[in-house]
Amino acid sequence: MSLRRLLALACAVAILPSVAMADTIKIGFPIPLSGPTASYGNPILKGAQMAVEEINAKGGVLGQKLEILPRDSKANADEAVRLARELIIKDGVQFLIGTLTSAEAPAVSTIAKENKIVFLAPSAKAMLLTAPQNLHPYVFRVASTTATEGQSGAYIVSKWQGVKKVATIAPDYAYGRDIIAAFTEHLKQLRPDIEIVDQEWPKLGEPDLTPFITAQMSKKPDAVYCALFSGDFITLVKQATPLGYFKAINNRLADGGEVGAVDITAALGNDYPFGIWADAYDPVVWPGNEPAEHKAFITRLKAYMKSDVGSGWAIQGYSAVEALAAGIQKAGSTNSDKVAAALAGLTYDTPVGKRTFDAKTHNSDAGEFWGIMVKDPAYPYAIISSPGYYNPLPVTN
Amino acid sequence: MAASFLFSQFVGGLTTAMFLFLIASGLSLVFGVMRVINFAHGSFYMLGAYLAWQMVRWLHPSAESFWPAALLAASSVALLGVIVERLLLRFLYGREELYQLLFTYALVLILGDAAKFAWGTAQLTVSRPAVLNGSIDILGATVPYYNLFIMLLGLAIALGGWRLLSGSGAGRMVRAASYDREMLDALGANVGGIYTGMFAVSSFLAGLSGALVTPISSIVPGMDVEIIVQAFIVVVIGGLGSFWGTFWGSLIYGLVLSFGILIFPSFSLFSVFALMAVILIVRPWGLLGRPIR
Repeated sequence: MSLRRLLALACAVAILPSVAMADTIKIGFPIPLSGPTASYGNPILKGAQMAVEEINAKGGVLGQKLEILPRDSKANADEAVRLARELIIKDGVQFLIGTLTSAEAPAVSTIAKENKIVFLAPSAKAMLLTAPQNLHPYVFRVASTTATEGQSGAYIVSKWQGVKKVATIAPDYAYGRDIIAAFTEHLKQLRPDIEIVDQEWPKLGEPDLTPFITAQMSKKPDAVYCALFSGDFITLVKQATPLGYFKAINNRLADGGEVGAVDITAALGNDYPFGIWADAYDPVVWPGNEPAEHKAFITRLKAYMKSDVGSGWAIQGYSAVEALAAGIQKAGSTNSDKVAAALAGLTYDTPVGKRTFDAKTHNSDAGEFWGIMVKDPAYPYAIISSPGYYNPLPVTN
Repeated sequence: MAASFLFSQFVGGLTTAMFLFLIASGLSLVFGVMRVINFAHGSFYMLGAYLAWQMVRWLHPSAESFWPAALLAASSVALLGVIVERLLLRFLYGREELYQLLFTYALVLILGDAAKFAWGTAQLTVSRPAVLNGSIDILGATVPYYNLFIMLLGLAIALGGWRLLSGSGAGRMVRAASYDREMLDALGANVGGIYTGMFAVSSFLAGLSGALVTPISSIVPGMDVEIIVQAFIVVVIGGLGSFWGTFWGSLIYGLVLSFGILIFPSFSLFSVFALMAVILIVRPWGLLGRPIR
């Protein structure tokens, strides 16, 4: 075969896949896949990819297969914006799901608004994303909100007996500030007799929390509301436990940063401060009345992630894809305006229950599962005992 | 209450300081004395942490295997340092500092990705060695034994490093090399070997501090970048070329941060950087440094 023919054949073969792909619905997925927040970004992506695989196996949506284009945003808002633009302009995505932090999400939301692309945020909780000045028809939040989280925390703390002095410790940025504000405001309403005796604000990712811990202990609080999450929570546990921090408050600490998720409990193992209240989007291990759909979901998830532990975060990626698929289905088209209109007010299924996007605020009514963290002989890590769904108050079935 | 509380904060500040000095000591050697900008120092620290975790798993997942694991991890990092220095870095000595910065920064990215490839992105932790579990009550402040150990180790490293640099023949040669490398070479000293040796020591210290930090912190991707800025700050305010300067720099950093939290709870970081700015305005070459040639 002559060189020219070979070249022509090579070009044809190169074009072929992209021609085939023109039939797929492309979803851009910028999310941190490196750095400290990747421990959440990666499972969220995995959950989304699993959802896409399952939906495609059933024939896709409107006869078209879904395709996720993952990109590493490095938890940096500028990078996330650049990636979002590239995904839209160069890769021609029709939808966006992703971002992790409350800094990235509003930035990408602006891009989504400019380009009229529907954008679902699986993890960003800060109110800024759907605040009236930032809200637009194409942004939807699958995550919970700082308002919900703060209020749940306040409710739980308010029920503890003999608590007169409460302290807070939270990372010093928008998310931490929002949550503590919501918490303290709501606690004041529920228990005006409780006094906030100390507030610590270590920077996000602070490797040495010791001075903050000792400062807080000196104020002798009866209970603590903690908004540290992920690596910061692990650092807190490792440094505060030998100082007697948890013992001094009798484990009366509530943390709404999903530190009840198996991702964190598995990392800490026996060092976990058993007895505290923590939450997770998905308890994964569910002693009590576990819904059958959840059990099946976890089995599939563990197989898909090739992990014995699974993840309490994958469900957010999974739910986001499910929600988007439901929206496209209802709209009967992949046109952004139609899908956006369909998503507003839509109720979609997740393995832990139905959720609805509020027609006006575009927040989903997502609460979290709270409970006391306990040791269980069947698992080498802490689990939530009798996980209860709080949204923001406990929902009794 | 007030006195014991202040003492608590003081001890907390000391812990922060010595924790930071462990890491900065290696950097002081390579940047302060050898004048090599090694941005990858933080990556060596991170690798020390990950390797310690890995060794603990391989040796025996119990708390007693911690010490051999830490030493093995530090030695492995030292070996890596030697390889990097011998094969790559030494071609950049004497060139513009920018080349060293760019190269070591590239190393940061490479090592960061390698760590992510090997250990994933989840947080990892190591339990405290059993022998150092528990704490002692000093003047009303609870001081965990492990923190006490880190403080004593920091002091030992400061003393050892100072003896090495000012007392030993190798130390004198290293300091001479940082003034005039070519002359030293012309005098017949094995400058290449000295530099490799010092780089190995620096890498060992970085790996060791990473390994020793694992029981009181979490091992996460990104810990390399997080720590390197603090380490550079401490070396600079202490004064380049002065090992004790780095020690005092760490102490100041730790104590100012600790008491800053009391005075300006919302601006604790500000107090450290404000102090840094003041020191550098008053003494641009650091506390114990000499005006750079």
